[in-house]
Amino acid sequence: MIEFEGVSFTHPNGVLALDNVDLRIEKGETLAIVGENGAGKTTLVRHVTGLLKPAKGRVSVDGVDTRTTTTATLSRKVGVAFQNPDHQLFSESVEAEMAFALKNFGFEPDVVAKRVSWGLQTFGLEEYRGSSPLILSGGEKKRLTLACILAWDPDAVILDEPTVGQDALQKERLAGTVRMLGAAGKTVVIVSHDIEFLWPMQPRVVVMKSGRIVADGPAAEVMQRREALDSARVAQPQLVAFGQELGAKPERPFVDALGARRFIEGRRP
Amino acid sequence: MMWLSGGFLFRSSSSYYHRLDPRVKLLISILMFVCALLARYIYELVLVMAFMAGVAVTAKVLARVGRTMFLTATFSAVIFVVNFLVTRNLVSSELYAVRFVAIVVSTSLFFITASPDELEQVMKTFRMPRDVVFAFVTAVRFIPVMMLDTFQIMDAQKSRGLEMQKGNVFLRLKNMIPVLIPLVVNAVVRSGELAEAMESRAYGAVPKPTSLVRYKARGVDKAVAVAAVALFALTAYSFYVVLPPLFL
Repeated sequence: MIEFEGVSFTHPNGVLALDNVDLRIEKGETLAIVGENGAGKTTLVRHVTGLLKPAKGRVSVDGVDTRTTTTATLSRKVGVAFQNPDHQLFSESVEAEMAFALKNFGFEPDVVAKRVSWGLQTFGLEEYRGSSPLILSGGEKKRLTLACILAWDPDAVILDEPTVGQDALQKERLAGTVRMLGAAGKTVVIVSHDIEFLWPMQPRVVVMKSGRIVADGPAAEVMQRREALDSARVAQPQLVAFGQELGAKPERPFVDALGARRFIEGRRP
Repeated sequence: MMWLSGGFLFRSSSSYYHRLDPRVKLLISILMFVCALLARYIYELVLVMAFMAGVAVTAKVLARVGRTMFLTATFSAVIFVVNFLVTRNLVSSELYAVRFVAIVVSTSLFFITASPDELEQVMKTFRMPRDVVFAFVTAVRFIPVMMLDTFQIMDAQKSRGLEMQKGNVFLRLKNMIPVLIPLVVNAVVRSGELAEAMESRAYGAVPKPTSLVRYKARGVDKAVAVAAVALFALTAYSFYVVLPPLFL
């Protein structure tokens, strides 16, 4: 469980990035954090692994205060896939890149080999095993960074803008991975502007604005609150807007095209 | 590290000193630099540094100059120790160590009060080749970006279990490899992208491009420049003729 209690944080340049944030993320929960640029989303998740320490309040992971331990220790429990994969790739080969964290965490060599193979196969990177990670395309680099994290099997995974630079097929695969993680009981936190990617997964949604949480609840409920979304410059999912135009029941928004089709066919004389 | 970097990087300010013509700011820094070289005794260097502190106060950058001195003091200590071990002369070792701090502070006073644009104009004034000016100014402009990159890369690697503050010196140096490689690769990629972006915006299309800003020395700039040269002449004269030798 990840918990923020009255967390405030001000950047060195004086910008208040988090303003008294209270948030509790339960084990096994899938949570999406959305909001305008500069709302404090990335700052919030950087507190989870202790990369940033709260100026006020407390952040804890499974009861451990992030101020009392190192990022490396917290990362064993919480894996973070950063926005820019170029900030972490450095090894001679894709295989070595995947093994880097596993070795840091002290896994046995045979376990490292098995997990590397699993990651490369799961994320379609087997053919690049011996290639330099630096020559991969943007989408492949992104997949590699995610594979690197899932290889050490953390209890929680944080994905910062995972869909940037991904084509439709890769987004679909990524959504499948998120669902798989959810089904495996992992906590998944996704920071994203890509509402259409988040909507079919129906996560719990937290909307941030100016360092504060302005809405928090199930996607079906939060995405109906147009005022809150507009104030945080978050677009409504197209299916929700479509459903509202058609007068569908707010408590039963269209999750996919099939839902919309059923509704329309149900209204036909 | 970010705190220390503030001792060398430009930040805009509304001080009188910031508003001076960049060529005058360069002149003042050069004169302070030369004064530091001319000083033969510690107390003379202290006088030069007191003047630098006055300039820093006028420019509202005293705290940042303090950071410069803090960082330089480490190298200065090395200079003192090496010099003392070689020459066994305490006074000259002190002099070299303090002079080094004074030289760095005089240089940093220019860089923290002159924007990259002003730096560009100054270099153009000296009729330096445009490509050289552009490359130098771009490098200066990208220092904060590179620093931000460094911190982000360090965060990413720490999140993969890398303990950067653990172990002996050699292990710590080895642990820098996962930070340095992405940093260098990103810098190379960025420079390539920047070159393409510049060319696609007609960089080099004409031999003599026009300028958005043209600096023209105002009366106050000229007055400050004359005062600086006069003060320099007076200082040099005092050092060699008026002030007594005082081995402190």
